[in-house]
Amino acid sequence: MNLQTAVERARTAFWLRNCDQVGHEPRLRGRPTLYGGRIRIGDRFELASRPVASHLMTGPDGVIEIGHDVSIAHGAAIAAFERVQIGHGTLIGPFVIIMDTNFHGAAGDQSVQHDCRPVVIGDGCRIGSRVTITRGGSIGNGAEILAGSVVSTAIPPGACAGGGRARIIGRAGEAASRWDSAAAALPSLVMKSLRLNVPPDLDADPSGLPDWDDSGVLRLLAAITGLFGVRLDTTEISHAHTFADIAAAVERARVAHSRRAAG
Amino acid sequence: MARARWPSLWERARDLQRWVTSTIGASIWLRGCTHVGSKTRTFWRPHVENRGRIVIGSRVRLNSNWAPVELVTGPAGVIEIGDGVFINYGTLISAHTRVRIGQNVMVGNYAIISDTEIPGIGDPPGAPLMEARAVDIGNNAWLAARVTVLPGSHIGAGAVIAAGSVVSGDIPAGAVAGGIPARILRAVATEDSSGSGS
Repeated sequence: MNLQTAVERARTAFWLRNCDQVGHEPRLRGRPTLYGGRIRIGDRFELASRPVASHLMTGPDGVIEIGHDVSIAHGAAIAAFERVQIGHGTLIGPFVIIMDTNFHGAAGDQSVQHDCRPVVIGDGCRIGSRVTITRGGSIGNGAEILAGSVVSTAIPPGACAGGGRARIIGRAGEAASRWDSAAAALPSLVMKSLRLNVPPDLDADPSGLPDWDDSGVLRLLAAITGLFGVRLDTTEISHAHTFADIAAAVERARVAHSRRAAG
Repeated sequence: MARARWPSLWERARDLQRWVTSTIGASIWLRGCTHVGSKTRTFWRPHVENRGRIVIGSRVRLNSNWAPVELVTGPAGVIEIGDGVFINYGTLISAHTRVRIGQNVMVGNYAIISDTEIPGIGDPPGAPLMEARAVDIGNNAWLAARVTVLPGSHIGAGAVIAAGSVVSGDIPAGAVAGGIPARILRAVATEDSSGSGS
């Protein structure tokens, strides 16, 4: 072992001195800040603090449990006053905020309160940059969270979710699960066509919505044609069980359309 | 779980030390501001670039624990921060005309409150000409983490803005809003308002 490796190991050990348990071969780039109650880290942990420092902190009763092969990029802000758990093999992008408490009360109430709900992130997840995960958010195994999202509810395993109130827009790893996909754009199209107050969930049943009548369907069809350039059948839409079915139909039509266009 | 026992002697000593450091810190780090009210405290070091006017009320707390709070004004800019406001780390407040924050407002970490499209830059030669539109945040509002308030926005009293939102336009008093761009999620805030906005 040469001098450089020895120095690096000593520094890493010093920076991780507040952790209860640290696995083998942690790799820290730049100087993070870890302090608080109980932080347990698995093997081959990677934490970047360059160019912006990351910090992990727990309250007196808080626990942070990090599995093996987890990689966290720079600028991370992780706070646990009850429990934050990150599964094995998860990759987390830069500038992520993970907190299991709001630290204070409702609007106008600045007193220190820790009404915590544990945050659980599963194995093999891919979390984009600048994602905010607030209390009660949980992410299933293998899920993918697009950059800039805010997760405050449960994301099922294997899903790809994104948005200011993270909603599921497809399956993790699929090329169709991107912001230009039909699944991503459909909820706001439906909201405008049916004049709803909030965009519907992709798993919602269209017939359960008010204004889901012929004129609403026609407006939605027109909006779909306007945005995606494909024309759907009214029967495809009115017989769909969920909005996800409609999104799938739009994707099929787009694929067919582009194949025709390519000759 | 809130602390349900009397603070120990160590904790009292630590709280006293923090009170002293933060009070003295305010008089040092905020000396560039036009007026700072009584009992205002700064934790760690904020960054103040005052070419206009910065008026800070009393009992204001600025936390710069992990990233500095930045207060930046252009030559005609005015930042007015009401009494009892709490501003968390990493927030940037930039005024080239007027940014007003009411009393008891809570601003979460990494927020951006700016009355110009590109906040924080001074007037170096070659800087783009930017139109500034005043920003107003009412009393008792709660801006969660990573909220961006665009120029010309008005946030009503007692409003709750969910984490990660981008506010442009008007948010009525007492509303819960969220998303990009921020849409009203609940018209009148209930007891159940939480940072998640869901």
